[in-house]
Amino acid sequence: MLSLPLLKQSIKSNSVMWGSMTGVMTLLCVQFSSLDMTRSLLFTIFYGMMTTILPGIYVLVTANKLLASQVDRGSMAYVLSTPTKRSSVTFTQAFYLVNSLVAMFGIQTLAHLLVNRVKPLALGELAYSSLAGELTSKMILQVNLSALMVCIALAAVCFMFSGVFNSTKYSIGMSGAFIGVSILANMLAMFGNLGVEGLKNFKYLTLCSFYDYQSVLAGSTDWISKLIFPAAIALAAFAAGRLVFARKDLPL
Amino acid sequence: MINVNELTHDYGHGRGVFEVSFDVDKGETLGFLGPNGAGKSTTMRHLMGFSKPQSGSATIDGLDCTRQSSEIMKRVGYLPGEVALPDGLTGAGFLKMMNELRGGGIDRRAQELLERFKLDPSGSVKRMSIGEKRKLAVAAAFMGDPEILLLDEPTSGLDPIMQEEFISLIKEEKQRGRTVLLSSHIFAEVEALCDRIAIIKDGRLVSTVDAAEIRHGLNNIITVGFENEKDFAEFGNGSFDFRLRDRSSLKCSVVVDDSDINRFIKAIKRFAIRSFEEHSVTLEEYFMHFYKSNKTFGGVSYA
Ligand SMILES: Nc1ncnc2c1ncn2[C@@H]1O[C@H](COP(=O)(O)OP(=O)(O)OP(=O)(O)O)[C@@H](O)[C@H]1O
Ligand SMILES: [Mg+2]
Repeated sequence: MLSLPLLKQSIKSNSVMWGSMTGVMTLLCVQFSSLDMTRSLLFTIFYGMMTTILPGIYVLVTANKLLASQVDRGSMAYVLSTPTKRSSVTFTQAFYLVNSLVAMFGIQTLAHLLVNRVKPLALGELAYSSLAGELTSKMILQVNLSALMVCIALAAVCFMFSGVFNSTKYSIGMSGAFIGVSILANMLAMFGNLGVEGLKNFKYLTLCSFYDYQSVLAGSTDWISKLIFPAAIALAAFAAGRLVFARKDLPL
Repeated sequence: MINVNELTHDYGHGRGVFEVSFDVDKGETLGFLGPNGAGKSTTMRHLMGFSKPQSGSATIDGLDCTRQSSEIMKRVGYLPGEVALPDGLTGAGFLKMMNELRGGGIDRRAQELLERFKLDPSGSVKRMSIGEKRKLAVAAAFMGDPEILLLDEPTSGLDPIMQEEFISLIKEEKQRGRTVLLSSHIFAEVEALCDRIAIIKDGRLVSTVDAAEIRHGLNNIITVGFENEKDFAEFGNGSFDFRLRDRSSLKCSVVVDDSDINRFIKAIKRFAIRSFEEHSVTLEEYFMHFYKSNKTFGGVSYA
C-alpha cells in the first residue's frame, strides 16, 4: 500500500515548505510562551490562531502539490507508468500529509514543553481568563492534540479537492476558499467568545470550532468528544479523495 | 500482445477516438501515424490506463488496461508525448526514483542509455533542455528492460544524430523480440522501424497497412512533356497507368513499375519529347494524402 520511493520523493519535494512552517510555528510558540510581553496572549493569539493558520497554509499548498499539481503538470504519468497503483499513490500521499502535520505539531509541542519546564506559566497570567493553577505538560499535549486533529481534518478536505480536480486552478481555488473561510470564521468566532455577541455564530462555519483549548485549560473533557467530528470528517474526506482519484480519467 | 478493440472516447466537438481497433503481435512494431489531434496520444493514454474507454476495450497481454494497469506496468515501458518531469530533482535523482518505483535493483540499462545518448544526469531537471529531458524520459522508459514499449513521438526534440541513435536502439530492441507501439510524425523513422503502420485521422483508424507491402508497392512516377498535341494524344491513349493527362501543358504522368520500364522507354522513343522528369514515390508521399483533407492520391500534382 505504502510506496516508500514515492514517500521519499514527497518528503524531499515538500521539505522547504514543511521546514519553514514548522520553524515559524515553533519560533512563535517559543516567543509567546517565554517573553513576558506576550505570555498573556499565548492562548488567544498563538494557540487561538497560529496553530490553525500556519498549518492551514501548509496543507493548502502541500495537498495540492501531492496530487492535483502533478496531474496538471503531467509528471504523475511517470509514477503511474511504474507498477504503482493509484490507490497506493493516494495512500502514500495522504500518509505523508498526516504525518508531516504530526511531525510539525510534535516539534512545536516539544519546544513548548521545554520552555514551560524552564519557565512555567501560571494560568492566572492569561488575558481574558479567570483560571487558577499552572499550565501543565499534560495540558500542552492535550491542546496540541486537539489542534492537530482539526488540522488533519483541514488537510483531508484539501486532499480531497486535490484528488478530485485535475487542475491546480480548481484544487487550489476550492481548498483556498475552504481554508480561508475556516480560518476567518474561527477568528471572528473567537472575538465572539471574547464578548462580541454578534460574531458568536461564526463558530458554526468552521471546523476549527472542534479545537477546544479552553476546555483543556478549564480541566473539562469536552475537547475529547470534540475530537470525534474532525476525525470522522478527515476519514470521509480522505476516502472520497482516494475513491475519486482511483476512478477518474487522468489527462496525462 | 496489445489489443485495442472498438475503443471509443468522445470528448465532444468531434474530438476523441472512435471505434479504434488494432492489434500489435508479440515482437512486432506498429507505427501510429496521423495528423495533430488525430487521437494517437489519446489511444496511448487508454493503453496506459490513464483514461477509461467509454466503450470498447484495450488490453495488453490479456489484461484490462483500466482495471489491471499496475500489473501491466510491470511489463511496459512508456515514453509520454510531453515530457513533464517531476520538480525539484536532479536527472540522477529522477532515474533513481523511477528505478525504486519499478522495484529497485541495479539498473544498468538506464546507465547504458545515458552513455549512449551522451547525457550527464547530474544537473537539475528544471534547467535541462527539451532534448536532455527527453533523453532522461527515454532512459526511464527502458529501465527494467520492459517487453512492451509504448512510445509517443519518441524522437521529437532530439537532434538528428540522436534521432539516428534512437532508431538504432529501437532496431536492437526489435531484434530482441520487443513489442513496440510507436507514434510519430517522422516518416523516415516509421519507414525504418515499423512492420505495420496504422493511420488514424479525426479519431478514426483510416487503415492499417503492412510496411513491406507499401514499400513493395511503391513505384516511380514519370512525367513526360510532349512537343505536339498529336504525340500527346497518341501516348495518352496507350496502355499505361496514367496519373495525370494535362492537355494544356501537354504533359502525362505515368506510374511505371520496374518490370514495365523497358516497355515504357520503347513507347516514348517514337515521340518528340520536350521534358522528362522522374519522381519516385516515397512513403512520405504515400501517407501525405491521408494528412491532407483531399483524400485522392492522384490529386497530388506532379505536373
Ligand atoms: N481530456 C481531454 N478532454 C478534452 N479533449 C481531449 C482530451 N484529451 C484529448 N482531447 C482531444 O482529443 C483529440 C486527440 O488528441 P491527441 O492528443 O490524442 O492527438 P495526437 O494524435 O496525439 O496529436 P499530436 O500529433 O498533436 O500529438 C484532440 O483534439 C484533443 O483536443
Ligand atoms: Mg500526441
